[in-house]
Amino acid sequence: MRALTEPFKIKMVEPLRVTTEEYREEALRKAGYNPFLLRSDDVFIDLLTDSGTGAMSDRQWGGIMMGDESYAGARSWEHLQRVAQDLTGMQYVLPTHQGRAAERILYSIIGGPGKVFISNTHFDTTRANIEYTGAQAFDIVCPEAADVESYSPFKGNIDLNKLVQLIEQHGAKSIAAVIMTVTNNSSGGQPVCMENMKAVRAICDQYGIMMVIDGCRIAENSYFVHHREEGYQSKSYLDIAREMLNLGDAFIMSAKKDGLVNMGGLLTVKDEALSVKCTNLLIISEGFTTYGGLSGRDMEALAIGLTEVFDQDYLHYRIRSTTYLGEKLRDKGVPVVWPIGGHAVYIDAAKLYAHVPVDEYPGQALVIDLYLKGGIRCVEVGSVMFGKYDEQGKLIPAANELVRMAIPRRVYTQSHIDYVIDVFDDILEIKNRNKGFRITYEPPFLRHFTAHFEPIN
Amino acid sequence: MKMVELLKVTTRPQRTKALKEAGYNTFLLPAEDVYIDLLTDSGTNAMSDMQWSAFMTGDEAYAGSKSFYRMEKAIRDYYGYKYVVPTHQGRGAEHILSQILIKKGDYLPGNMYFTTTRLHQEMAGGTFVDIIVDEAHDAYSEYPFKGNVDLNKLEQLVNKVGAQKIPYVCIATNVNMAGGQPISIANLKELRAFTHKHGIRIIHDMTRVAENAYFIQQREPGYKNVKIKDIVREICSLTDGATMSSKKDALVNIGGFLAINDWDVFEEARNLVVAYEGLHTYGGMAGRDMEAIAVGIRESLNDAHQAARVGQVEYLGNKMESYGIPIVKPIGGHGIFVDAKAFLPHLTQDEFPAQTLAGEVYIDSGVRTMERGIVSAGRKPNGENYYPKLELVRFTLPRRVYTQAHMDVVAESVATVYDKRSRIKGLKMVYEPKYLRFFQARFEQLK
Repeated sequence: MRALTEPFKIKMVEPLRVTTEEYREEALRKAGYNPFLLRSDDVFIDLLTDSGTGAMSDRQWGGIMMGDESYAGARSWEHLQRVAQDLTGMQYVLPTHQGRAAERILYSIIGGPGKVFISNTHFDTTRANIEYTGAQAFDIVCPEAADVESYSPFKGNIDLNKLVQLIEQHGAKSIAAVIMTVTNNSSGGQPVCMENMKAVRAICDQYGIMMVIDGCRIAENSYFVHHREEGYQSKSYLDIAREMLNLGDAFIMSAKKDGLVNMGGLLTVKDEALSVKCTNLLIISEGFTTYGGLSGRDMEALAIGLTEVFDQDYLHYRIRSTTYLGEKLRDKGVPVVWPIGGHAVYIDAAKLYAHVPVDEYPGQALVIDLYLKGGIRCVEVGSVMFGKYDEQGKLIPAANELVRMAIPRRVYTQSHIDYVIDVFDDILEIKNRNKGFRITYEPPFLRHFTAHFEPIN
Repeated sequence: MKMVELLKVTTRPQRTKALKEAGYNTFLLPAEDVYIDLLTDSGTNAMSDMQWSAFMTGDEAYAGSKSFYRMEKAIRDYYGYKYVVPTHQGRGAEHILSQILIKKGDYLPGNMYFTTTRLHQEMAGGTFVDIIVDEAHDAYSEYPFKGNVDLNKLEQLVNKVGAQKIPYVCIATNVNMAGGQPISIANLKELRAFTHKHGIRIIHDMTRVAENAYFIQQREPGYKNVKIKDIVREICSLTDGATMSSKKDALVNIGGFLAINDWDVFEEARNLVVAYEGLHTYGGMAGRDMEAIAVGIRESLNDAHQAARVGQVEYLGNKMESYGIPIVKPIGGHGIFVDAKAFLPHLTQDEFPAQTLAGEVYIDSGVRTMERGIVSAGRKPNGENYYPKLELVRFTLPRRVYTQAHMDVVAESVATVYDKRSRIKGLKMVYEPKYLRFFQARFEQLK
């Protein structure tokens, strides 16, 4: 594939520090071999997450300077409200400091003991928020997603047959909501097609169930719909997003992804009575209705970011540059989740490090090697993140042992990415010699953020 | 001034219409229709050029951001607390702390309630108990430390419910609801001795600690020549932890944290913050906002800054007094609190005198203020209205934003309203939300 030039140039730079392998070995030891505990200063290429790590445009920085910091009724809020209403077609807009706050507000109202949530795949914090209310969360992604290395255009889709089965099994009254995550982060950043969304809407209508769209990467999803789904080639990315979001009853967004900002979140709902309940909780834990825990300047930057993200050239660059990394790795023989998703490349660590048993966390081993060899930081999405223990304390592993290399938006150039690709030559050379890890400390939930590890000799 | 923000001038008919559309609640006015915004000093500060330049160096890494370590260092160096958990703003810290320390049936004594603090305590199953000195409820007492704790009240509570039912005493510096009134070091030391004896923690609501330190420097024997930064350090050393809304004294527009000396509480807070706020090295703040806090903390502890800050509040208060306006004395640190009961004696408290007065001032001049009376006090868990002794309108001054000429406009406007006060009619509430009703309640004018 040809080199892809960015539809922007650099206006502000942030210097990076180059470190030695010995230095990084020591940094890892201090961080308990957990990349979340590394100091960012010690990282050369940071692919830990695409959340809040993007570069804003000069127009957004201009918005930052124009931010109205009034506590109530700020014009930056009015700007954001207008943009969000236009995008979602929903009247009630609640700003939150980030996405998980929007989730907590909505799910603590519609959740609770005995309630059931069904999703293509719940993201880790989403599941934590739902289970915290006493409700259950079921993931029913389509069967195509199970085969990680084979092509299928919409591997983020929900399994419609299972959806109906689950509703029948639990009774429509106990279903709190069907949550559609677009794109589907935990299954490899895979898109959901409009047909699948429409079918979910029809099922929800039939049973009288609420449909929530968790759309932090809605623009990236629209790109895939435009290019892969029949009948959408003449529609703009923005119109596709509008059509999709209009199908939902509520929309949750961590704006730190496709909002192109470093901080912010949104909750929008159609129903007035629900909006009143959500607003009460918003004020208690987030902030007043017209700022919700965000500074005025962050709301201004988000209003502009939500418009910029649908730019045709930007989205083309975004998706193709992620694919570039994935294709090059695949050409080298690195097993990757296929097709490449919108925001990240997912590597199948169980296959690459086949000699490391699952309870020695092959994903974590690969993450550590990438940092050690190249100063590259990424994250394990496998049994460290999603594993549980049975009653004997034996690990119940996750479905897949993946490593996610998430690409921050508009931050790294193609030469940075080429460097990452080169580091894999070292990885492939040493891979058979590598050892697994054991956990030496872990908190009771969301352990991947703060757990400590040690190498097994 | 290095950067200015333009204001819109409105006409009286425009403002009359805007207030009606806002249900006579100043919170519901669009900021664009406000000329001088004294609604709150929270997050409305002007940052310095030093803060803006630090802001540009913000490190937005999700984990291990350099900016977090700089903020953590500033908190340790200047406040002296050991462990720091960042949150998106003060109520995020209150929420986490309440979830960790409060059990159902617990009692939370404090030097007067604050709206969000009390609500988080109640939602965690606790009951707030006011232990502030009686002088705090008397608008005209000139007592210099109206934020002090009445230790007899605390002792009575300990005798009644037992120390094990009291997870901590919540101490606000420069008590907002009492009119920005300080607590003295002497009182805090007595409280420390008492709580040590009973094994009770002191948690410090420190959002206006620097302003409190300024009053100690001015009023408390032995502190005249002590620097504000040293007084702040001493205050913090007498407590076990703190919740902070950085949007006040730390001179920023967004941000907060929980600071604690106890490792176990810290560890639990660090696990909870991921679920509610964000990873423990950003907690819901952008990297650049953590940078601005680190610099803002240092600037807030400068003696000249605090003298100018509180001096401006005093200027406004003295000017209002010269027009005969009834205000809470002594003048507090972050705003002037006008006594609406004395201003509008012909209105009963059920006719919302403070809410009414806030509206009248807005219509007169476009100055936006806030009610701190019966509407803010809300309802008891059993549904009855709280009837607070103080029925106040708060004129809160954002830090470093308005000039002396702006203050003159404000004082003259209040004087104009005062001249026609007998013709002012009250309000009735027509919409009341479930929690924190003052934010969103709607009113109509009585005929």
